[in-house]
Amino acid sequence: MARIPLKANALIGGLLVGGTLLMAATSVVWTPRNPLAVALRQRLKPPSPDFWLGTDEVGRDVLSRIMAGAGTSVMVAGLAVLAAVLLGSTLGLIAGFLRGWVDRALMGINDALLAFPGILLALGLMAVIGASQWGIVLALGLAYAPTVARVVRGAVLSIREREFVEASRSIGNGEGYTMWRHVLPNTASPVIVLATSMFGWAILAESALSFLGLGVPPPAPTWGNMLAAARPYMESAVWLSLAPGLCIALTLLGVNLLGDALRDRLDPRSTER
Amino acid sequence: MLRYALNRLALSLPTLLLVSAAVFLLIRLVPGDPVVLMLGDQADPQQIADMRAAMGLDRSIFVQYGLWLLHALGGDLGRSTTNDLPVLPLVLSRFQVTATIVFAAVAIAALIAIPIGTIAAWKQNTKADFAIVSGATLLLSIPSFWLGLLMLLLFGLKLGWVPVVGYVSFSENAFQAALYIVLPVVTLTLIEIGILTRMARAAAIDVLRLEFVAHARAKGLREGKVLRRHVLPNAFAPTLTLIGIVLGNLLGGVAVIETVFTLPGLGRLLVDGIYARDYPVVQGCMLFIATIYVVVNLLVDLAYPLFDPRVTAA
Amino acid sequence: MTRPSLCTASVILGLLTAGPGLAQSPGDYTIRAALNSDIRSTQPGGNRDANTDVVMMHVVEGLVAYREDTSVGPMLAESWTVSDDGRSYTFKLREGVVFHNGAPVTSAEVVWSWRRYLTPATQWRCLPDLDGRGLAKVVSVEATDPRAVTITLDKPSAIFLSIIARADCGQTAVLHPDSVGPDGQWREPIGTGPYRLGEWRRGQSVELTRFDGYSSRGGEMDGFTGGKIAYAARLRFIVIPDASAARAALLSDSVDVLTDIPMAEAMDLRQRPEVTLLHTPTMGATAFLLQTRDALLKDPRVRRAFALSLDVQQIVDGTMEGMAEQNPSIVPIRSRWHGGDQSRRPQRDVAAARRLLAEAGYRGQPIRMQVNRRYANTYDAAVAAQAMAQEAGLNIELEVLDWATQLDRYTRGEYQMQSFIYSARLDPSLSYEMIAGPKDVQPRKVWDNPEAQELIQRSMQVTGEEERQRILSELFTRFSQDVPMIVLYNQPDFLAGRANIHGLRAWPSGHTRLWNVSVR
Repeated sequence: MARIPLKANALIGGLLVGGTLLMAATSVVWTPRNPLAVALRQRLKPPSPDFWLGTDEVGRDVLSRIMAGAGTSVMVAGLAVLAAVLLGSTLGLIAGFLRGWVDRALMGINDALLAFPGILLALGLMAVIGASQWGIVLALGLAYAPTVARVVRGAVLSIREREFVEASRSIGNGEGYTMWRHVLPNTASPVIVLATSMFGWAILAESALSFLGLGVPPPAPTWGNMLAAARPYMESAVWLSLAPGLCIALTLLGVNLLGDALRDRLDPRSTER
Repeated sequence: MLRYALNRLALSLPTLLLVSAAVFLLIRLVPGDPVVLMLGDQADPQQIADMRAAMGLDRSIFVQYGLWLLHALGGDLGRSTTNDLPVLPLVLSRFQVTATIVFAAVAIAALIAIPIGTIAAWKQNTKADFAIVSGATLLLSIPSFWLGLLMLLLFGLKLGWVPVVGYVSFSENAFQAALYIVLPVVTLTLIEIGILTRMARAAAIDVLRLEFVAHARAKGLREGKVLRRHVLPNAFAPTLTLIGIVLGNLLGGVAVIETVFTLPGLGRLLVDGIYARDYPVVQGCMLFIATIYVVVNLLVDLAYPLFDPRVTAA
Repeated sequence: MTRPSLCTASVILGLLTAGPGLAQSPGDYTIRAALNSDIRSTQPGGNRDANTDVVMMHVVEGLVAYREDTSVGPMLAESWTVSDDGRSYTFKLREGVVFHNGAPVTSAEVVWSWRRYLTPATQWRCLPDLDGRGLAKVVSVEATDPRAVTITLDKPSAIFLSIIARADCGQTAVLHPDSVGPDGQWREPIGTGPYRLGEWRRGQSVELTRFDGYSSRGGEMDGFTGGKIAYAARLRFIVIPDASAARAALLSDSVDVLTDIPMAEAMDLRQRPEVTLLHTPTMGATAFLLQTRDALLKDPRVRRAFALSLDVQQIVDGTMEGMAEQNPSIVPIRSRWHGGDQSRRPQRDVAAARRLLAEAGYRGQPIRMQVNRRYANTYDAAVAAQAMAQEAGLNIELEVLDWATQLDRYTRGEYQMQSFIYSARLDPSLSYEMIAGPKDVQPRKVWDNPEAQELIQRSMQVTGEEERQRILSELFTRFSQDVPMIVLYNQPDFLAGRANIHGLRAWPSGHTRLWNVSVR
C-alpha cells in the first residue's frame, strides 16, 4: 500500500494556523488602515486597489478589520482554552487522585455543566461581568472545562496504577509531590490534543455567539461579529460575508489538520503511526 | 438492565436539579426584566411594580424557585411572560421542529458517513483514505451558519429552488414541509458528515485490529466480506456513542441554524426567551434540553452492549 | 403558498368601488404580511406590543382615531361636543355600525367597554393616564341616550382625545360584551373593524378575515379612520423574526408586504425593481441621552461641547442615506406643532467644543455610551458620533448591550450616555412629558428641570392653539440650552410591498394598514 506522507497534515495545518497567527500578530503593530475608522462616505465599497477587501456598512476597511479580527479571535479562543485547561486539569486531577466522594461530587457538577448549553452560560456571564471579551473567555472556558476534567480524570485514574507512580510512593514521596511530578506530566498528551481541538471549537463558538449577538461586542472586530453585521448585505455586498467566513473556515481547517498531526505523534492510542 | 436504567436515571436527578437552579439564578442575574421590556420606554415605576407583583417577581428568589420546582414536578412549567402560553406544550411543539431537522440530518449523515469512514479505515493510509479524511476535515471546518447563509443565497435567492423562510409541519402538508426543511437539513448533514466520517473511521480502525477480524481474514474470507460482516457492524457501536453525543449537542445548539433559516425550533425559542427575559420559557427550555441530554446518553449507553461484541463477550 | 387569484374578484362587489379609473374590487385572495414577532395577545390595549397593535387596529375601533396628519378625528363617533368647563365630552355614535357578531353598536356597549377599561383588573395600558395618576381622571361614563355617551373628567385636559386614540391603548376600542366570557376571562375581540380575527397559530401566523358587515366611514383612507375597504378576503400576518429572512421572503414572493424594515434591509430593497419601498418620518425619535447626574456630564459645558462636536447632518446623511431629516426637537418633524424655529441647531464647531471642555476641566476621561445592535441605526449613529467627538478631544467608549439590558439601564437612569430610540408620541406635550420629569422619583426621565416641568403641564391644559405653540417654542429654547439629550432625527418607518400590491401607504404613526390595499 502506498503511504501518504502524513506530514502533509502538519504542513498544511501549520501553514494555515501560522498564517492566522501571523495576521493576528501583525495587526497588533500594523494594519493597512485603522480598523475602527468610520468613513460614512465610503460605505459598502467593493474591493479595489484602495480597499483590497472593500469597506463595510460604516465605511471601515474590511482587510484591516479581518486582521484585527484575527487578533481578537485568536486571543479570545486562546485564553478560553487556557482557562478551560487550567480549571479542567485541576478538577480532573483532584477527582482522579482523591477518588471517593470528592470524585463523585466533582463529576456530578461536571455532568451538570456538560448539560448546560453554552449560549445561556455566555449571556449570563456577559451580563454579570459586563459585555466584554472577558465574558466570552470565561463563558467558553467554563463550558469546555468539564471536557478537560473528564479526560484528565480518566488519564489520572489509569496512570496512578502504573508502576512508576507506585515506585514514587514506595520511596516515600508525598502524594502531592507524586501527583505533581509523575502523574500530571503524563496527562499532557491527551490534554494537548484536546486543547488543539478546543481552540478550533472556541473560534467557532465565538463566531456563532457573535452571530447570535451574544459575542464579543462591536466595534472591536471579530470574524464572528463581522459575519453577523454582514448578513443584511449578503447579496448586495458579498465580499463582506465571504472574507470573515473564509477566514473562520480556513483557520478551523488548519487547527483540525494540526490536531490530527499532533494526535498522531502524541496519543498513545494513535492508529496511524 | 432495567435496574441499571432506573439507577442511572436516579443518579441524573441531582444533575437536573443543579441545572435548573443555576438557570433560575443566572437568568435573574442578567440585567433587564420582562416587565420593563413589556412596558417599554413609557413604563412608570408604579406600573412596573404592579406588573411585577402580578407576575410574582416581587417575591424572594428562593420562594420563586420553590414554587417553580413544585409546579415543575407536577409537569407544569408555568406560562410564557411574552405570550402567556403554557411552557411545556410550547417547548414540546418547538422541539418537534428541532428534532425533525436534527434527526433527519444525523440519520442521513450517519448513513453516508459510516460506510465512507469504514472504507477509509480499511484503506488506511492510502490516497483514498487521505482524500476522505481531508474532505471530512474540510466539511467540519466550515461554520454551519455561514454554510447555511451561502446555501440560502444560492438555492433560495439566486436559483429560487426552495422557499427561503418559514415552516410547515409534516402533519399539515408533507411535501411542503420537506421543501421548507431541505436546506437546513442539507446544511447540518454536510457538517455532520464531516464529524461522523472521522469518528466512524477511528472506530473502524480499532475494530480492524481486533483478533476476530484477523481470524476471519485467516479463514480466507474475502476483504469485502470481512468488511461487511465484521467491521461495519462492529464499528457501529462506538460510532453510536458518538452519535449520541452529537445528537445531544445538536438538540441544544441548533439555535444558529434555526436563526439562519427562521425555523420555529427549540434553540430559537431559547434565544428569543433570553432576549425577552421570558423567565419561564428559558427555565423550561433549559430543563428540557438538559433532560434530553441525559436521556439520549442513557439510551446510547443502554444500546451499546447490543452492538458491541467486546462488551457482550465479557 | 396561495397566490391571489384575481379571476374570482366578483363583479357585483366591483360596483361598490367608488370613482372611475382603476377598477379595484374586493377579491377572494390573501395578502401576506411579515411581522417580526408574534402578537402577544388579542386583547386591545392589554398585553400588547407594536405588532399586536398593528394587527388589532384591523379588528377593533374606538370612538376617535388618529388621522393621517396625527390629529384626532372621529371613528365610531359621528361627532362630539365638549362642555363649557372642558370636562365633559359627549360622543354621538354613528348609525348602522354593527359588531362582528351582527349586534348593533349602541351606547350600552360603549359604556360597558369603557367601564371595563377603567377596572384595574383589566390592566389597560392607559389606565394610569386616566385614573388620576396622570393628567386627569375619568369620573363617569354614562349613556345619555342609545346613541350618545358622555365621559366626564375631573379637570379639563388638552390631550384626553390624544390618549384614548392611541394604538397602544387599543384605541380604547368599543367591544361587544361577548368578547369576555361569563367568568370575566378574555375570549376574543368582537369589534367593529373591517377584519375579524381568524386563526391564530401561535408563533407562526395570525389570519384575519374580511368582515362583510363592515360599515365604512365615507371619504378617503385617513390614518386609522376615514374610508376603509377590505379588498383582500384574508390578511395573513406571518411571523418572521429575522430581518434578512423577511427580506428574502419578500423577494421570493413568500410574503407580499414587509413592515418595520430595518435600515440595512431597506437600503437593499430600495434598489429592487420588484418591490416598492415606502418611507416617512415617524413620531418616534432617535437621540443620544446624556445623564445630567453623571460626575462629568452634570457640567452643562461638557454636554454643550459634545453637541458642538457633532455634525448631525452628516451623521443623518451617512447612516440614513437621505431617508431621514435631521430634527433637533423632541417634537416630531411631521407634527403640526413643529414650528420652523424648532429646526435650529448650532453649527458644528470643534474649536468651541475644545474651549468648553478646557473650561470645564475635562482631561480625556472616558465616557461610556451604551448602544445596542437591535436598532442598527442607533448603533451606526453612535459609531459616527464617537469618531466626531474624538476630534474635539471627547473620549467616548461604546458599550454594546442587548436591548433588554439597555432598556433596563434607561429605566434606572444608570448610564453616562445612551444611543436610544423612543417610540412614537403623537402629541407634542406627550413628547416632552416622555423625557422630562423629576429624576428622584422617575430615574428614567432625562430632563430634570422644574421650570420646564411647569411649562409642560401648562401645555397640556391650555386650549388656545397660539398659546400652546408659544409654550412649545419656549420649551425648545430651554431644551437646547440644557442639552439633556441630542435629538438626531425621527426614525423613518419603512414599508415595502411587492410591485403588484396597490394602495400601501406609510404614515407617521408607523402602523401598517392593510385595508384599502389590493392586489393588481
